[in-house]
Amino acid sequence: MTQYLLNGLGLGAIYAFIALGYTMVYGIIRLINFAHGEFFMFGAYLGYFVLRDSGIDRLDLPQPLPIVLQYLAAVTAASLGAATLAVVTERVAYRPVRRAGRIAALITAVCVSLILQNLAVKAWEAKTRSYPDPRLWIAVADLGDRAPANLWIVRPFRTTGGDEIEREELVLSEGDPVDDAARARIRGTPDARVFKKITPSTEVAQGFVLLALVLWAPVLWFLVKRTRTGTAMRAVSEDMDAARLMGIPIDRIVSRTFFLGAFVAGVGGVGYCIAYGQVSPYTGFLPGMKAFIAAVIGGIGSIPGAIVGGILLGVAESIIPHLFRSELGWRDAFAWKDAIAFAFLFAFLLFRPTGLLGRATRVKV
Amino acid sequence: MSGELLWWLNLLVGVGIFTLLATSLNLINGHAGMFHLGHHGFWALGAYATAWWTIRLDGELSGPVLYGTSLLLSTGVAAVGGLAVGLPCLRLRGDYLAIATLAFGEVVRILIQNSDKGFLGGSQGVRLPRVFGEFEGEAAKLEFRALSLALVATLCVLAIWAISNFIRSGHGRRLLAVAQDETAAGLMGIDPTRPRVLAFVIGAAVAGLAGGVHAHFEGSLAPQEFEFMQTVKMFLIVVLGGMGSLSGCVVGAFLVVGTERLLARAGGAIADWWQVIFPMVLAIMIVVRPQGIFGRRELSDWFRALRRRRAAP
Repeated sequence: MTQYLLNGLGLGAIYAFIALGYTMVYGIIRLINFAHGEFFMFGAYLGYFVLRDSGIDRLDLPQPLPIVLQYLAAVTAASLGAATLAVVTERVAYRPVRRAGRIAALITAVCVSLILQNLAVKAWEAKTRSYPDPRLWIAVADLGDRAPANLWIVRPFRTTGGDEIEREELVLSEGDPVDDAARARIRGTPDARVFKKITPSTEVAQGFVLLALVLWAPVLWFLVKRTRTGTAMRAVSEDMDAARLMGIPIDRIVSRTFFLGAFVAGVGGVGYCIAYGQVSPYTGFLPGMKAFIAAVIGGIGSIPGAIVGGILLGVAESIIPHLFRSELGWRDAFAWKDAIAFAFLFAFLLFRPTGLLGRATRVKV
Repeated sequence: MSGELLWWLNLLVGVGIFTLLATSLNLINGHAGMFHLGHHGFWALGAYATAWWTIRLDGELSGPVLYGTSLLLSTGVAAVGGLAVGLPCLRLRGDYLAIATLAFGEVVRILIQNSDKGFLGGSQGVRLPRVFGEFEGEAAKLEFRALSLALVATLCVLAIWAISNFIRSGHGRRLLAVAQDETAAGLMGIDPTRPRVLAFVIGAAVAGLAGGVHAHFEGSLAPQEFEFMQTVKMFLIVVLGGMGSLSGCVVGAFLVVGTERLLARAGGAIADWWQVIFPMVLAIMIVVRPQGIFGRRELSDWFRALRRRRAAP
């Protein structure tokens, strides 16, 4: 049970990071930014390239610090990439339609989302790639009597196309006796090096995102409540026309909002991809959708609401199927967990459309 | 030669199915002014209802009876779905309605995908038995497709006739009034919910019918077909033709489905980029010419004007 709760908290932190962008953009220009999922998908791809090319899976150093640094670099690249894409998209696609009415803007957002998704297919193919895992090398002499973990070797391999690639091969499973035969097998492979793969398990990845959320929340609070840009954001969200009359540069503020929202979504995107171990051009859709639901649960437009809603949704997605399985004996409960978010959405839209922390706005005729 | 003919028949049936889908989406989005993004959900409901029925009762009922009853079931199931989604959701406005209906469409797909293999086929999809017997040779295929085309065309005419009559009925006029200005309509004593729910249910039912026809025509279904992109395609048809114009839907369906199939057949760079191009066309369309080709007008308006001009000396 505790395990599921922790899992849910981690997943919830990922949703919260993504939901922040939805809620900030909605708060300021009343637009459901459908393309938000694609922003962080783009960021997650950049993170993937950083991890792959910086050689996280080729580490010779057994210290954990370089691994952490590489993950930090990946998250930074992801955040900056997502934020840049968001600013460009806002400038090119959203700004021209801001005056055209909310439905036109919403359709544009749907279209932008599909366009970015399909551009990603063009750029990086439609296939699902596995997110790189760190590998730690082990000297054959250090092996001891029993294999300390699953041990692999890398050996060069020539494809039918003539390219030389490296292929991993499991030589010893965890706990297998390391006898002379095993040693001979490892030694007998030319260029073979033994390593253990550290899969940043779902729990570890989610734990780090949770930690990041704890660190980010006060930063966000400071940015929104204590800086000039943050004050301007709140003013624009309150009343755009009045803010313009007060001399607030609306376009610049909206652009900065997109930047900030997508920047934090980059963290969630990399966290999501590490937790699920993969990335594809369609990665943005489902978590994006769920994060939007989290924003609605928390009260759209409210930053603390996005965090609360994200955590709540993550915990619900983890706990409810678990309860169904353990209490009611429904074995396939986890296959249906994606429907929970949508049930929440319907329930909240019907019974509490302002969400947990949102404010009701009165419409005057 | 006959291969060529088959291809064109295929295209026309596709146009017909999308005409049904677009006219029903148009009733909800165009006439009723409700921003509904989950039409692929109703389509899937209809298609899978037909699949379920046909697989259960194959061999027990004769071909035409099975075909007819399955279409009736599809229409009914989708209509009930429309009522179930419509009643709660219609209290929502604008973008909230959009997200709730989109969520509905995705839930339907996820539920089908996770369904038991023996029930709806799960992620593997299902194969339908051919109610008119397996095809033996080109001629049988040709005959089946020609029959399907005739049926789809009839259904399109019926659906358009029914929808245009609905719009001219009391409910329809109330619907248009509510769509134009809810507050003003309310002050005139019009209850906004009933015409809206009716429009939603009728739209869903027609989409379900299209699903049934689609299921029989394709002979197999996979949950991945009923993705959000399909609703966007229907939306493009509606926007291209003109929101609130039934003639526009027919023209739009010919344009969009025709372009898509012809491009796919021709291959080349544009076909490769089609998935990027068509959302772009939709986005540009909605900004540059939101009223589409026809606006709210119909072809019949134009004929009437022509006749009047002739009659005048």
